[in-house]
Amino acid sequence: MIVLVAKRIGAAAVIIVVLTATLFLLQRASHTSPVHALLGAGASKAAVRAETHKLGLNKPLIDQYLHYLGNLVHGNLGTSYRTRRPVTTDLRQYLPATVELSFFGLALAVILGTILGIAGAGRWRGSGVFRFVMLCGSSTPPFLLALLGILLFSGRLGWLPAIGQTSFANAPTGPTGLLTLDALLAGRLGVFADALAHLVLPATCIALVPAVSIGRILRSSLETTMGADHIRTARAKGLLERTVLVRHALRNSLGPALSMTGLQAGLMFAGVVVVEEIFAWPGIGNYVAQSIPQGDFPAIAGVTLVLSVAYVAINTLVDILQAVADPRLKP
Amino acid sequence: MAVAEPYLPPIGRRGWLRGTKAATRRVVARSARTDLAAAGLLVAVTVLALAGPLLAPYSPVLPTNGLPMTPPFHGSYLLGTDAIGRDVFSRVLYGIRISWFSALAVIASGVLIGGLVGLIAGAAGGWLDTALMRITDAFLALPGPIIAIAVVAALGPSLRNTLIAVMVVWWPFYARIVRGEIRSLVARPHLDAAVLGGASRTRRALRHLLPGAVPAIVVTASLDVSNLLITLAGLSFLGLGSPEPAPELGAMAAQNLQYLLTNWWVPVVPALAIFLLALVGNVAGDGVRNLLGRS
Repeated sequence: MIVLVAKRIGAAAVIIVVLTATLFLLQRASHTSPVHALLGAGASKAAVRAETHKLGLNKPLIDQYLHYLGNLVHGNLGTSYRTRRPVTTDLRQYLPATVELSFFGLALAVILGTILGIAGAGRWRGSGVFRFVMLCGSSTPPFLLALLGILLFSGRLGWLPAIGQTSFANAPTGPTGLLTLDALLAGRLGVFADALAHLVLPATCIALVPAVSIGRILRSSLETTMGADHIRTARAKGLLERTVLVRHALRNSLGPALSMTGLQAGLMFAGVVVVEEIFAWPGIGNYVAQSIPQGDFPAIAGVTLVLSVAYVAINTLVDILQAVADPRLKP
Repeated sequence: MAVAEPYLPPIGRRGWLRGTKAATRRVVARSARTDLAAAGLLVAVTVLALAGPLLAPYSPVLPTNGLPMTPPFHGSYLLGTDAIGRDVFSRVLYGIRISWFSALAVIASGVLIGGLVGLIAGAAGGWLDTALMRITDAFLALPGPIIAIAVVAALGPSLRNTLIAVMVVWWPFYARIVRGEIRSLVARPHLDAAVLGGASRTRRALRHLLPGAVPAIVVTASLDVSNLLITLAGLSFLGLGSPEPAPELGAMAAQNLQYLLTNWWVPVVPALAIFLLALVGNVAGDGVRNLLGRS
């Protein structure tokens, strides 16, 4: 067990190092020169030379990379061209909102996916509807869902807010930065309910595509399990079909669905960027969406790094969890 | 995934004996003709994308003489006009062309690069297999679309760079699939026969292994069309594509977001077009999978 955990964590570390090297090389290949982006186009030659020296851009590439790595370890991700603040400061400000949205999105995706998977595997009347929903769901770009959601629930019906994270100007900002949690800790139920209402539309938009993938994989894995001998035995001893499905088949079929959940987190992060922009959600997705038109590479690289590390961490955790759940996977 | 299962020739045309009971019943319920029609949708959309310029009644980039923000089905504007009086229908037709061929281009590159890497790794085995698959796994362990954003941002936003970025992150998936198929074929007796017959390494790879992996590649590629359409549309939505006034569907939806509550069709119609394209991709992909007898 310990060997497996160590192996997985080692692999994750290697991947993170590869990632930093990639980002570093991209930064060097970037079409925006960091010196001109920081100083402006009209900077004097002497100022450009001084800044180049200060940023270490006249050193050998490998020195620059080691310097970059050293900075990373100390939490220094460079200065954003757009906000003129350290990227780390920006990320610290915007990250909690994204964590909150992704958490609710992923939770919703798992719940919806399980429902879709079980319902799709069932063969009662009307279960075809769920297969149709899955087909449409896997074809819907997150932004279409966002547009239709805003039109219907915000514009036409006025049930749900479509902009930002809260309607309260004096919403609590600490201690965790996660608004729903902070509101509960401060005992302000009004703010909590309002934050949840703000979460409904964006979380649904990012959850749909992963939910469908989870549902599809769970369905096919359930269908395979349902053909197994122990299911025939369970049926033969007269158990209800529902009991057979939930007690005897579901647990054996969860493995593939679990690893799909980890993989889908990556696609979901891409959805998070688009959805945060549409809903003006104060998270790192919206931050990177604002940075793209400005060619603000340090900000983009910072967000890429954070999201990729999160993705690698989630998938490493899923791998380990699977080994815990299924002893056959031990090395 | 198809990695562990041995390759069995499909029994009959549909190969349905390989599925579970439930799958069998479902597959038999759908006729081969339906699947053929579904797969044919791929050709139909390709023709539509090719013929877009002939079908478009107006220029995709120049304003028409009509009023801005004409609602759909008014006058000669099938899907209305946008904020500066351009015909939305014409723009969407050109957008479909860009989206569809972009997706096909990335898939072609994925099949080529991934297929080559997978074929070499699977056929060679040994240290080369290990090395190539380690690289592939490193790519697969990172969130592709997010890395693509960073790559485009570094290269500078344009449709060409977006396609390059997505191609860079897309091939490992194909490499994995092809390598798995090839490895299972290597263990089969016909390869021993080829070795005894004196076939060279290259000949064995191209004539005795590659053809066996083709069904898996075709099924994977056709099921992948909708993923790519949605991913590319998302990048275009973020402004990582051709600059205004290019008629890209994702960008059209993003740039007209402000009109959502007043003139809904301007941002919604391009997004719906992506949805329909992706739906065609999914239906056709399922059809291809059923035709080739794989689940």
